[in-house]
Amino acid sequence: MAKRATVLKVTGLRRAFGPNTIFDNFNLEVRAGEAIALTGRNGAGKSTLLRCLVGADRPDEGTIEVCGHPMSETDPQVRRDVATVIDDLDFFPDLSVVEHLDLLARAHGITDPDAQVDEVLEEVQLVPQSGQLPGTLSSGQRRRLALATAFVRPRRLLILDEPEQRLDVEGVGWLSRRLQAERQQGLAIIFASHEPTLVETVATRTVTLGAPRG
Amino acid sequence: MSASDIDEIDGPELPEPPVLTPASTRELRGLMKDWRRGRATRNLGQALSDAYVAVIAALMIGAMTVNVILKAQRVVAGCDSASCLSARALLPWAAVLAAVATALAVARLFGPVLASAAEGFWLLDAPISRSRLLRARLVAALAGAFVGGALIGGLVALLTGSGGTESAVWAVATGISASAAVSAAAAQQGRERHRLSRAASFVFGFLAVVALLGVVGVAADRLTLSLSTTLGTEIGGAVAALALVVLLIGGLLAVSRLASIRRTRLVSGGSLVRGISGAFFALDIGLARDIVVQRRTMEIGHVTPRRGHGEGLQALTWREWQRLRRFPQPLVGWAGTLVVPYASEALGMSAVTPVFGALALFGAIVPMLNGLRVLTRSGGLARCLPFSMAQIKMAMVTVPAILAAVWAVLVAPAFIGVVGGVTRPFGTAALMAVATAGAGLLAAIRWTQAKGVDFSKPMVSTQAGALPPGLVTNLFRGFDVCLLATAPMLLGFSPVWSLAIEAITAIVLFNSFDADSMRARQQEAQRQLDLQKRERESQAVNAKQRKR
Repeated sequence: MAKRATVLKVTGLRRAFGPNTIFDNFNLEVRAGEAIALTGRNGAGKSTLLRCLVGADRPDEGTIEVCGHPMSETDPQVRRDVATVIDDLDFFPDLSVVEHLDLLARAHGITDPDAQVDEVLEEVQLVPQSGQLPGTLSSGQRRRLALATAFVRPRRLLILDEPEQRLDVEGVGWLSRRLQAERQQGLAIIFASHEPTLVETVATRTVTLGAPRG
Repeated sequence: MSASDIDEIDGPELPEPPVLTPASTRELRGLMKDWRRGRATRNLGQALSDAYVAVIAALMIGAMTVNVILKAQRVVAGCDSASCLSARALLPWAAVLAAVATALAVARLFGPVLASAAEGFWLLDAPISRSRLLRARLVAALAGAFVGGALIGGLVALLTGSGGTESAVWAVATGISASAAVSAAAAQQGRERHRLSRAASFVFGFLAVVALLGVVGVAADRLTLSLSTTLGTEIGGAVAALALVVLLIGGLLAVSRLASIRRTRLVSGGSLVRGISGAFFALDIGLARDIVVQRRTMEIGHVTPRRGHGEGLQALTWREWQRLRRFPQPLVGWAGTLVVPYASEALGMSAVTPVFGALALFGAIVPMLNGLRVLTRSGGLARCLPFSMAQIKMAMVTVPAILAAVWAVLVAPAFIGVVGGVTRPFGTAALMAVATAGAGLLAAIRWTQAKGVDFSKPMVSTQAGALPPGLVTNLFRGFDVCLLATAPMLLGFSPVWSLAIEAITAIVLFNSFDADSMRARQQEAQRQLDLQKRERESQAVNAKQRKR
C-alpha cells in the first residue's frame, strides 16, 4: 500500500509564556487521511498549539511545514490548503449567513458555488437563518456558521479547536459523521476536543497534552 | 389539573404577604449616591490637582482654538462683497440644520433616555415611579444636546466672522435646536416609534447640505439670496424662540411617556454607552465604531440575500459593491462632501481647501470600509481567503477608490476656480483634486486598519503616568495622513509632492500586514544565524581542546 503524503510536519515546537512552558520539543506528523485528536485538561496547551499551527500565534522554537511549505499565515498557498475553525473567526456584520458562504466559495474559485453553498447550508441546518445577519445568530448557530466556512471551500488540512462547543447532541453526532467522512476521503484533520464520542469516532491517533490532573 | 382542583386541595393556608411600604425614588437614588460616594477615594479638588497635565493640555488646546478663531476672523474680514456676506449669513443656518440632524441620529442610537444594566436590574424592577427615576436622564440628555449644539453653533458663528453677541445668540439657538430635536426623539421613544425621528434626521441632514450648496452658490454669484447681513442677532433669536417652543412641547410629551419606555430599550442604550465609553477609555475610536455598526446591524437583523458575482478577488470587490448598494447611506455622506471644496473656495479659504476636502472625504469613506475593518481587526476571516493581505486590501478598497476618483473629477472645477477663490491652470487643479482625494482615501484606510492598543507591551513613562505605546497616537491615525499628504499644497508647493507622499504611504499601508510576516522571517533568520554562530564557536572550542 502506497504511503500517504505528509500534510503537516511539526518539529521541535516550543511555546512559553514567561516562566510557564506550555509545550517543549513537540513533534508531530500528520498524513493525508489521518485525524489527530488533541486531548488534555484545561490549560494544557491544546488551543495554544493549534494557534501556532494556524499561524495566529508564533512559537518560540521549532518549525511547522504544511504540504512541504514552511507555515506562514500570510502565504496564499497555505491559506488555500488549510481550513481552520478557532476562536478568532470574525464575521462581516452586514453580510447574511448565506452571503458569507457564497463569498468564500467564490473566492476559492469553486465551479458551482450555489450548489456547494446550498449543500453546506442544508447540512449545518442554517437554511432558515440564511438571510440573517451574524449578530442576530445564537452562539450555537454562529458555531455552525464557523464550521460551514471550513466545509464550503477546498482544503487539504482541517484544524479545529473544540468544534463540538455549543453544539447540541444532534449537532455533535452530525459533526462526528462529517469529520469521519472527510478523513476517509483523504483529508488530514487535527482537532482539540473534550468530547469522547467525537474523539472515538473521528481520531486515528490521540495526543494528550500536559500532565494529568493529580 | 384544573383551577377547580386547586381549590379542593387541602393543605396549610398561604400566609398573607406583609404590607410593606416601598422606598421612594428619592430614597433609592440617595442610597445609590451614598454607595458611590462611599467608594470614592479622592474628592474633586484632589482629582483636579492631580490632573494638572489634563488641565494644561485643555488650556493649550483652548488657546490654540482661540488663535484659530482670531486668524479665521482676520481672513474672513477680507470677505466684504455683498455675495460673500450673504453666503456667510447662511452658514449659521447650515450649522443649526446639521446640529439638529446629528442630535436626532445620536438620540435615536442611544435612546435618548437610557439606563445602565445595574439600574435596569435593581431599580427599574422596584415598585417605584419609573417616570421619576428617568426624568433626570432625560434632562441630562437634553442638557448634553444643548451644550454640544451650542459649541457647534458658537464655533461656526465665530469662525465666519460674526461678532460676540451674534455668535452667542447663534450658539444658544443651535443648542436649543439640538435639545429640541432630542426632546422630540424622546417623545417618540415613549411610543416605541422611530420612523419620524429617522425621517427628520435625513431631512435636516439634506437641508444642511442644501444650505451649504446655497453658501457656495451665493458666494460664487450663481445664486441670489436677499439675506440680511445685519440682522443676524435678531434672526438667531427668532430661531432660538421657535426651537424653545418645540423643546417645551417635545419635553412635556417625553416626560408624560417616560413610564411607558420598555426596560429592554433603556438598558440596551445603557449597554451601548458602556461599550462605547470602554472603547473611548482605551482611545480606540475604531472599536467604538465597531460597536455602533454591530448595534445597527442587530437592529436590522435580516436582509434579502443576494447572489455574488465573479470568482477569486473579483468576488470580494463585487460583494463590497453589493454591500454599498444594500446600505447606501455612506453614499449620501460622500455626496455631501462634494460641497466642501466648493464652499471653501467660494468663501476665500483657497489655501486650506485641500485639507478641508481631504478631511471631509476621509470621514465619508470610513463607513465604506467596513469589510476591510473586519478583515484586518483579527486574522480569522482573512485566513479563510486564499490571497495575500495586500491582495485582499486592494480588492476591498477598489469600490471606495473608484468613488474617490469620481470625487476628484467632480471637485476639480472648484480647484480651477469656477466658484471664486484662486484661479489655477487646469493641470494643477486636476492634480490638486486627485491629491486631495488620494489623501482622504489613504487616511480612511489607515484609520480603518488601526489596531487596538496592546496593553501587554511595556508601558511608556509619561508626565500623565505610564501609558501603553500607541494609546495617544491611535487618536491621530488618519488625520496624520490627511495633514502630511496635503501639507505641500498647503505650503504652496506643487501637488506632485503630495502625490509622491501618497504613493509612499500607499505602499506602507498595503503592505503593513505582510510586514509582520517579514519581521517574523527576519527574526527566524537571525535565530538561525545565532544558532550557526554558537555551533561554530562550540566547534572551535572543541578543536582547541583536541589540540591540547
